Amino acid sequence: MRLKTPEIYSVELSGTEDVGKTDTGDGKEKYRGLKDKRLELKKNHQKEELKKEVDLEDHKLSIKELERKYGTNIVTGLSSTQAAELLARNGPNALTPPKETPEIVKFPQADGAILCWIAYGIQYFNDKSSSLDSVYLGCVLALVVILTGIFAYYQEAKSTNIMASFSKMIPQQALVIRDSEKKTVPAEQLVVGDIVEIKGGDKIPADIRLLSTQGCKVDNSSLTGNLTPSLRTHDNPLEAENPWNKMSTSPVGTATGMVINTGDRTIIGQIASLASGVGHEKTPIAIEIEHFVHIVAGVAVSIGILFFIIAVSMKYYVLDSIIFLIGIIVANVPEGLLATVTVTLSLTAKRMAKKNCLVKNLEAVETLGSTSIICSDKTGTLTQNRMTVAHLWFDNQIFVADTSEDHSNQVFDQSSGTWASLSKIITLCNRAEFRPGQESVPIMKKVVVGDASETALLKFSEVILGDVMEIRKRNRKVAEIPFNSTNKFQLSIHETDDPSDKRFLMVMKGAPERVLEKCSTIMVNGQEQPLDDSTAEAFHTAYMELGGLGERVLGFCHLYLPADKFPETYSFDVDTVNFPTSNLCFVGLLSMIDPPRSTVPDAVTKCRSAGIKVIMVTGDHPITAKAIAKSVGIISANSETVEDIAKRLNIPVEQVSKRDAKAAVVTGMELKDMSPEQLDELLTDYSEIVFARTSPQQKLIIVEGCQRQDAVVAVTGDGVNDSPALKKADIGIAMGIAGSDAAKNAADMVLLDDNFASIVTGVEEGRLIFDNLKKTIAYTLTKNIAELCPFLIYIIAGLPLPIGTITILFIDLGTDIIPSIALAYEKAESDIMNRKPRHKKKDRLVNAPLAIYSYLHIGLMQALGAFVVYFTVYAQEGFRPSALINLRVEWEKDSVNDLEDSYGQEWTQYQRKYLEWTGYTAFFVGIMIQQIADLIIRKTRRNSIFQQGLFRNKVIWVGIASQIIIALILSYGLGSVSALNFTMLRPQYWFVAVPHAILIWVYDEVRKLFIRLYPGSWWDKNMYY
Amino acid sequence: MSQAEGGVITSAFILLFYLVFYGFLTAMFTLTMWVMLQTVSDHTPKYQDRLATPGLMIRPKTENLDVIVNVSDTESWDQHVQKLNKFLEPYNDSIQAQKNDVCRPGRYYEQPDNGVLNYPKRACQFNRTQLGDCSGIGDPTHYGYSTGQPCVFIKMNRVINFYAGANQSMNVTCVGKRDEDAENLGSFVMFPANGNIDLMYFPYYGKKFHVNYTQPLVAVKFLNVTPNVEVNVECRINAANIATDDERDKFAGRVAFKLRINKT
Repeated sequence: MRLKTPEIYSVELSGTEDVGKTDTGDGKEKYRGLKDKRLELKKNHQKEELKKEVDLEDHKLSIKELERKYGTNIVTGLSSTQAAELLARNGPNALTPPKETPEIVKFPQADGAILCWIAYGIQYFNDKSSSLDSVYLGCVLALVVILTGIFAYYQEAKSTNIMASFSKMIPQQALVIRDSEKKTVPAEQLVVGDIVEIKGGDKIPADIRLLSTQGCKVDNSSLTGNLTPSLRTHDNPLEAENPWNKMSTSPVGTATGMVINTGDRTIIGQIASLASGVGHEKTPIAIEIEHFVHIVAGVAVSIGILFFIIAVSMKYYVLDSIIFLIGIIVANVPEGLLATVTVTLSLTAKRMAKKNCLVKNLEAVETLGSTSIICSDKTGTLTQNRMTVAHLWFDNQIFVADTSEDHSNQVFDQSSGTWASLSKIITLCNRAEFRPGQESVPIMKKVVVGDASETALLKFSEVILGDVMEIRKRNRKVAEIPFNSTNKFQLSIHETDDPSDKRFLMVMKGAPERVLEKCSTIMVNGQEQPLDDSTAEAFHTAYMELGGLGERVLGFCHLYLPADKFPETYSFDVDTVNFPTSNLCFVGLLSMIDPPRSTVPDAVTKCRSAGIKVIMVTGDHPITAKAIAKSVGIISANSETVEDIAKRLNIPVEQVSKRDAKAAVVTGMELKDMSPEQLDELLTDYSEIVFARTSPQQKLIIVEGCQRQDAVVAVTGDGVNDSPALKKADIGIAMGIAGSDAAKNAADMVLLDDNFASIVTGVEEGRLIFDNLKKTIAYTLTKNIAELCPFLIYIIAGLPLPIGTITILFIDLGTDIIPSIALAYEKAESDIMNRKPRHKKKDRLVNAPLAIYSYLHIGLMQALGAFVVYFTVYAQEGFRPSALINLRVEWEKDSVNDLEDSYGQEWTQYQRKYLEWTGYTAFFVGIMIQQIADLIIRKTRRNSIFQQGLFRNKVIWVGIASQIIIALILSYGLGSVSALNFTMLRPQYWFVAVPHAILIWVYDEVRKLFIRLYPGSWWDKNMYY
Repeated sequence: MSQAEGGVITSAFILLFYLVFYGFLTAMFTLTMWVMLQTVSDHTPKYQDRLATPGLMIRPKTENLDVIVNVSDTESWDQHVQKLNKFLEPYNDSIQAQKNDVCRPGRYYEQPDNGVLNYPKRACQFNRTQLGDCSGIGDPTHYGYSTGQPCVFIKMNRVINFYAGANQSMNVTCVGKRDEDAENLGSFVMFPANGNIDLMYFPYYGKKFHVNYTQPLVAVKFLNVTPNVEVNVECRINAANIATDDERDKFAGRVAFKLRINKT
């Protein structure tokens, strides 16, 4: 009857067909290309459309042509009427949200309602008997189905709501020129042809074509995945300089642009729609639950049918046999499990949210636990996502700077005169500034207006020298040449703060080789020395070394302009350059890197010991990528790549045996030329892999490669282009801070702090949830036998029915619910981060030992215990066990009102019925008492309860209390409601099953003891679930 | 040791384990059941929670508590007659005289143990002849079934140590359930007269040592039931300590049955 249960778990799982189509459509060539081929993901017609879009030539058109094409004017803008017209025609400038499954469809199919109808039908045919039992049963079943459905839906909806509120951003405003006036309108109302003005820090509201800029750069990283904005002119609109894309942010400057695409037609919109075409895989837990449902359904249906046949051949009425069938199925199906699993998952999700993992899709909680490969981004996830000064080189020496999150510990030698000069250049030759009004904010957290390198330098000097702005004030800037890509240097001229020195100081920073070219001297220990070959050699060595660390190196030099040639009143002109820019004095090098987060190396080690392979996928340069990989442990200290070995042995790369290398750094270009087979080989051969210079699209190929190894793959990503990979991954993890909305939409989980270490905590929680779900299921399955046996005995031996169907439901959905949820709070038995991730296909949630142990060991003991209670009640009321055998027919006959018991007393039908209900209650209490023991033993699977601590998990005790209280209420509170079939039970019957409960505990302790004593023995193999 | 052998040995272990384990479970179950049965006396039940009000029942016993007599069709009532003959056999005066005591009517026949545990109890005589026209002795009308004037016997359920009537006399009365039933029912006579049940038949001490206990009966002979109509009859006992108005238990202190005499 619960065959459809997985539907509830697979709300998001539609769309697999689409995957199939793309898979077959493009074959092996797919996803190969970088940017221009990315669009092949979608079905063909869309592909064509997208290609056409990308081939847009807008960035090559002149302004006049543009004005003509879009019917606008760059000075006056569109008229309001034009804009309204266009808005009506093209729709608002907003992304269509991903298709939500309509809520009503989400609602679970009323799978059990059919049962209600059957029951009602039976009742209808049976109406002569005037028994309302089956009507009650039918209604209760329908109620159960509806309630669990509502519950699961509510939970799912609640977690979806978190995300919905999360993705709703503050409405974006845009400054637009319309009717020759500047107006602020909601970004949604932008139309093609609008002229918009962008200020530093703004989000670009739509795809725009730049018309004019003032010192403006754009961060396209959410689109291209690159940290630094690409300023190259390029045929591809994504790489070209003048069109900017929606969602990008502009960190500095101002600009004017013309809207060329809005809403879903923007490049972002296209990619977002592309992502929705890549289907989600079924989550591992959904597969496991389905597997479990198959087992349970198989057992239920086969036992049901077997006994249906037995019943019919024992000459029971067919209608009665159908009622037996329903009873058997009800006894077998853990009705409460669905709710339990949902609650368990959402509890963990809540716990993870506290640890900055926001789980969108509940099942993802467990998926993370079974993860065997994590494909992680570098920037922001492994690193701090800010350039930081890592090394300095002056006085022919390399100094290490502190790159930890707070920079607190700068230990290099600051006494040298060279450092004094260098620090001055760093401070003065810098356009970055702190945004005002942040006095109380720690330096490292202050917001800076300026690009990444300058920010790094500003913060570095602020930490070491104190108030930089004050220093700059004292050394007034008189002229400046900003950095540009042709010069590759930045230069400024300052008055000095030394009142006795009237000379101007010229400071310069830039690409080291360019800076060095302009120098004739070098400062060593505060003294200027001529730049000879040996010092130049030293410079090159240092430059190469720092570059080899994957760091961005800048050179610094200065020159005191002679006071006679450049008096105080001299007017510097940066256009004609009326001052010398050569024969300067080289001071030092400074290298910067986006340093790893301090928590990452530890987290990577944890992953490694947990058997999880961490693969770095980055758009960065291989050298940088490798350096970061090494520093965080993705490439461990003692492993080498093929190239490393070749270099060490001084032999060509081709001669190196691939077996010797554990690590590999693969670039996007190499990946592009690989066949899937080669990729598979790569993924299996190397345990430490770094993919560098990859496009976000190639992530998808990597993810698929990993999935071909039967791995459960977690992928992190932030850019829009990551969304296909995020969707394809078994678990997509989006970055909460850096992540784009499209990435967050496609992901199953959002890391609120962008921190890789949070993933590891997530893995731990995920593994724990799997273990605890196992315990919950074992707990839930156990009583099924105790619920099933009565029916079997009833049919075969003809005893009065020991437990009614409704009573069973009160166990499944009443007393057992809170305890099974309580198991979700159980702490891990051993260090779950020290074992291999579970194998998707081998380590099942419900395996044979679990089912056998629950059903045939504990379950059977429980059944016996409950029967003792049942027999006790009947015997003490007058029916000894021997009198009960084959009593069923007479017992149930309405016309027999003088049925004789073991003492010669005679019973009316109602008196017997009441006794039968007392029997139900007794059996119920028997099961409940033993379920307490069952709950306690399920706390651990291997360790003794005493090792685990009986009282460590307080919720278990809440569960036990709830069990007892619910049972008390049912028996003493609702004992008079005849529809529920409960009666007031004499107090002593509550204790009859206690010896059996103790036996269960003792037996399980013995089982665990032998498992611990004889690992690997047949006992261990057959008794450990 | 080959792998196959290992498998066999493991299977043997598992088989042995289950034998021992299930043997142990059976033993445990038997033990607890045995302990439980020690709490139960052979002679009197531990609790009589549900038996505060004894139920009433009719003879002949039929599937749906309906007495249907086709006067002309011997087959239709012959089975009733057979059942009644069998049912009344122990009431034969000869058997009663041989086994049971003649008791003093109008008071309970109490037989305290007097220090002797579970001392066997004697029962009072209820002679078949007390049933008068319904005794069926030398009765050519077969309890009136052949003439359409059937006898229906009312009996009260046995309940151990129950002092029915609370020391006051009690009797059984029958009425038609609804007005039309009352009309159709016509007149009837009861044996013993007035439908009396004497106190001397109580208390009942249980079948184990109240061996020849004879349950008192009330016979109702329906004299002129309107033929070819179904008549709902309800008989109840009027006794001080027996409630007959239990909403749920339709047989507590009363019995309802259907009577139909088919005549052509």
